[in-house]
Amino acid sequence: MGFLSRLAEIMGFKKKEANLLVIGLDNSGKTTIIDQLKPEDKRSRDVAPTVGFTVDRFKNNSLQFTAFDMSGQGRYRNLWEHYFKNCDGIIFVLDSSDKLRMAVAKDELDQALKHEDIMKRRIPILFFANKMDLRESMTSVRCSMVMELEKSIRDKPWHICSSNAKTGEGLHEGFEWLTDTLKSMLNDK
Amino acid sequence: MHMLRRDKKEEEDGGGNPFHNIEKSSVLQEARTFNESPINPRKCAHILTKVLYLINQGEQIGTTEATEAFFAMTKLFQAKDPILRRLVYLGIKEMSKIAQDVIIVTSSLMKDMTGREDQFRGPAIRALCSITDTTMLQSIERYMKQAIVDKVNAVSSAALVSSLHLSKCSQDVTKRWVNEAQEAVSSDNIMVQYHALGLLYHIRKYDRLAVTKLVTKFSKHSLKSPYAYCLLVRLCYCLLEILCFVYFIRTDSPMFDFIENCLRHKSEIVIYEAAHAIVNLKNTSAKELASAVPVLQLFCSSAKPTLRFAAIRTLNKVAMKHPAAVTACNLELENLITDSNRSIATLAITTLLKTGSESSIDRLMKQISSFMNEISDEFKIVVIQAIQSLCSKFPRKHPVLMNFLSSVLRDEGGFEYKKAIVDSIITIIEDNPEAKEAGLAHLCEFIEDCEHTVLATKILHLLGREGPRTPTPSKYIRFIYNRVILENAAVRAATVTALAKFGAHCEELLPSCIVLLERCLLDTDDEVRDRATFYVQTLKQQQKSLKSTYILNGLQVSVVGLERALHHYTMEPTETPFDVKSVPLETAPITDSKQVREPGEAGGQKTEKVAASRQDIYAEQLSSIPEFANLGNLFKSSSLPVQLTESETEYVVQCVKHTFSHYIVFQFDCSNTLNDQVLENVTVHMEPADGFQVLKCVPCASLPYNKPGTTYTLVHLPEDPTLVTGTFSCTLKFIVKDCDPNTGEPDDEGYEDEYVLEDVEVSVADHVQRVMKPNFGVSWEEVGLENELEDTYALSTMKTLEEAVQNIIKFMGMQPCERSDKVPEGKSSHTLYLAGVYRGGHDGLVRAKLALSDAGVTMQLTVRSTDPDVSEVMATAIG
Ligand SMILES: Nc1nc2c(ncn2[C@@H]2O[C@H](COP(=O)(O)OP(=O)(O)O)[C@@H](O)[C@H]2O)c(=O)[nH]1
Ligand SMILES: [Mg+2]
Repeated sequence: MGFLSRLAEIMGFKKKEANLLVIGLDNSGKTTIIDQLKPEDKRSRDVAPTVGFTVDRFKNNSLQFTAFDMSGQGRYRNLWEHYFKNCDGIIFVLDSSDKLRMAVAKDELDQALKHEDIMKRRIPILFFANKMDLRESMTSVRCSMVMELEKSIRDKPWHICSSNAKTGEGLHEGFEWLTDTLKSMLNDK
Repeated sequence: MHMLRRDKKEEEDGGGNPFHNIEKSSVLQEARTFNESPINPRKCAHILTKVLYLINQGEQIGTTEATEAFFAMTKLFQAKDPILRRLVYLGIKEMSKIAQDVIIVTSSLMKDMTGREDQFRGPAIRALCSITDTTMLQSIERYMKQAIVDKVNAVSSAALVSSLHLSKCSQDVTKRWVNEAQEAVSSDNIMVQYHALGLLYHIRKYDRLAVTKLVTKFSKHSLKSPYAYCLLVRLCYCLLEILCFVYFIRTDSPMFDFIENCLRHKSEIVIYEAAHAIVNLKNTSAKELASAVPVLQLFCSSAKPTLRFAAIRTLNKVAMKHPAAVTACNLELENLITDSNRSIATLAITTLLKTGSESSIDRLMKQISSFMNEISDEFKIVVIQAIQSLCSKFPRKHPVLMNFLSSVLRDEGGFEYKKAIVDSIITIIEDNPEAKEAGLAHLCEFIEDCEHTVLATKILHLLGREGPRTPTPSKYIRFIYNRVILENAAVRAATVTALAKFGAHCEELLPSCIVLLERCLLDTDDEVRDRATFYVQTLKQQQKSLKSTYILNGLQVSVVGLERALHHYTMEPTETPFDVKSVPLETAPITDSKQVREPGEAGGQKTEKVAASRQDIYAEQLSSIPEFANLGNLFKSSSLPVQLTESETEYVVQCVKHTFSHYIVFQFDCSNTLNDQVLENVTVHMEPADGFQVLKCVPCASLPYNKPGTTYTLVHLPEDPTLVTGTFSCTLKFIVKDCDPNTGEPDDEGYEDEYVLEDVEVSVADHVQRVMKPNFGVSWEEVGLENELEDTYALSTMKTLEEAVQNIIKFMGMQPCERSDKVPEGKSSHTLYLAGVYRGGHDGLVRAKLALSDAGVTMQLTVRSTDPDVSEVMATAIG
């Protein structure tokens, strides 16, 4: 078995799996998003605040995802970096209604982008401007401006879309982009 | 191919252990594989096993390395492989104490704990509880409660046992899970029931009343689980022992009845547990024993080796305490001598040795010699201990026993084993003057090739004390001096001290001892050099008193007390020099077991921690009471509490006396056995004897049912230094409040009442602290004739010398020296030597020459002291 997988590596790696890292401030909706992506019978009805992290696996467009859903509470944010090394893509969730903490979110994003395990790698970053259903929420364009995404991310593919994790609205669009980007990157290798 | 060959070679080297030569740094390097994806479960499981193996071997892993490995391991949560996942749980538990930020896995574990995979749930709970601290506990509380009553037994058990561990530091939270635990006790599963009962006990264990209730309740229930029964038996045993310890009584109690009923339980382990409890109870009566011993007897002939082992081991332990009960099983024990299980055979033989007659010793010794090489050190020690107790029982047998000991001393064996042998030889030497020379010779031979520093220093200390007083001291010098040339610093230091003792005691050896000591003046080690310099200077003075005080009899202070006094001294800058007389003297440690005394001789090499004695503990307690802050250092606490009430009365009071240089503090430990009363403001009113003056009472604020409390009375000693004894009549005074027996809630109104207690005596012994003078003769000469008093008494009530000796020791409260408390068999005269320090720091020595006559015992009592008043007080103690 070891021999075969080694062979696959040599023959041009066609990995149908991808590791995702789901980060963002606490209460932004990360766990709810991941839950929404699972088949209906496997979803958990009430989402408790995450302590540390959980791992989830789900399929989307013939790609098998393993998502590390990290806790966004202050105490755990500096532990994100332990999981930077071998992720193939990042999902950064913003609470688009939480204008007050947008600056904190930007700060955390910049920290992550500066990290050596992220900086040198061309990994795709998908932003969800979540909780679009709330009245005080900002549009995805507005969010990307406040976060200065254009300016901060120069050498990585990124995309932002509005979402409502409770209904699943917008998630599909985001994942479409992520899957396509990952597939093309894998093929390019 | 290459791999195969290497595996084979590894196998040869490591005796089949595949992890034989793994190395920490490379394993931690390999652990980085956990970060790779996709995960290779088999490979990762193998690496993780190695990590676990290392940790379990006691390998120290630094925080940074451990944290890195831990976070790498958390990535393995993405694999569903059950073997790997369960290894991860183990890894989390093992690393929870060495890595940082381990709470990162909290949510992952909670997911598994509530997930669909039953086989993950129990282990996830255990891992979760090992990473959870008190602050996080609240967030998992709900899940823990659910898990305790889960219908899957393994989950319920895991939650119960984990709660038990959590309750050690988070009592408050786990207390709230009592209802769930109660529910789990009624489970049909024997493990769940046992674990639930265990948790209920742990939640309450600091509240004796609550434990009693728990035990009473469940001993009436019909529990299903034999393990739960065993736990109840153990709890009953502990409660009975506490009752016995606190009140010195054991009434017939339902708890004992419960234990006795368990003797008829259908499960063997319950029966065994009950029998074990009964024979181990401190005050078991012959009748009670008679119910338990037949059970053990039966087990001795069981077909199951575990039962035979358990039974014989229990009998072995109690053989000295209840010889008659054990001899009843002699037939069974004889059969076990040839048991194919060597452990059982060893225990059988040693039990027989302990209880058997003198005539059977030779036969049994032969038997045991035949397989001494086949048993483990642990059981060899059992054999040695049996031999040690034989020596004091049959002193005449010492040649056989000593021979055996000297031959096993030459065999291979670990430290504990060698130590047991050496201790036994020392005990024999001390008990048996005739065995002394042979014993010392064996020990001399042993230190010639002894790898254990502790034992070598101990033996050198013994040689220094005993050697000079043998007929030919010179023959030991060579053995001792050889150590200076061949050994490490600690042993050399002990050697120097031993040599100095020969020089101090034996005039004719003094010049050569000085020469030998002078060779140590240039030793490479500070301690050795310092000791040598000190001894050479002291010996050259040629003064008796210097030799006695600084070489032969040494310092006799409590180490804990010295530490405290020095600390105190350094706290306040002062011109006055430190006064060693202010340091409390060394008193016997709390354990009353008969152990060889060994003053801390080998500087710093003592491995055992210096135990605080009972008196050190009292001193600590008294000094925390503001009223007693200025009494000075505690000089002596009376050893056994005196009962001031009959047993089984409404109130139980006992008294301990604490003597200071000008005061006595009477400590009254009281308990209230009426469950419908609370006593408040409890004091003991003392009617003072002549010259004594009651200064103060420190009341016990409240004395509820069954919770002991303490009140103190402070008394000033008479100014007249010869007025030291007296009788005090005592009355317990208090306010009674009636209360509800169930809740303990007292009424608002109370009334004053009192209760007459027995009188308290203050005797000479209360003013004298025991002190060991290893070389009594030298001290006797040193104190001299100046304040000597002598008188002759007829002790008409004493029928034997032994009785007289015991009574004199008790009256005087002094330390018997030179083992003179032992009266050799068949002698009609005997001399007792006693040493002590009188309150205020003056040495007091007593020589009592006793002779047996038709009219009892006559005694010529000679007292010497550095103070005339002390001589007078001591001389009148007996009168
Ligand atoms: N109204 C609204 N609430 C949401 C949405 N997504 C998540 N939430 C709620 O936000 C809270 C936090 O969600 P959670 O997934 O735990 O956030 P996380 O800390 O980022 O994992 C929960 O109460 C969710 O129900 C959304 O799109 N709209
Ligand atoms: Mg979350």
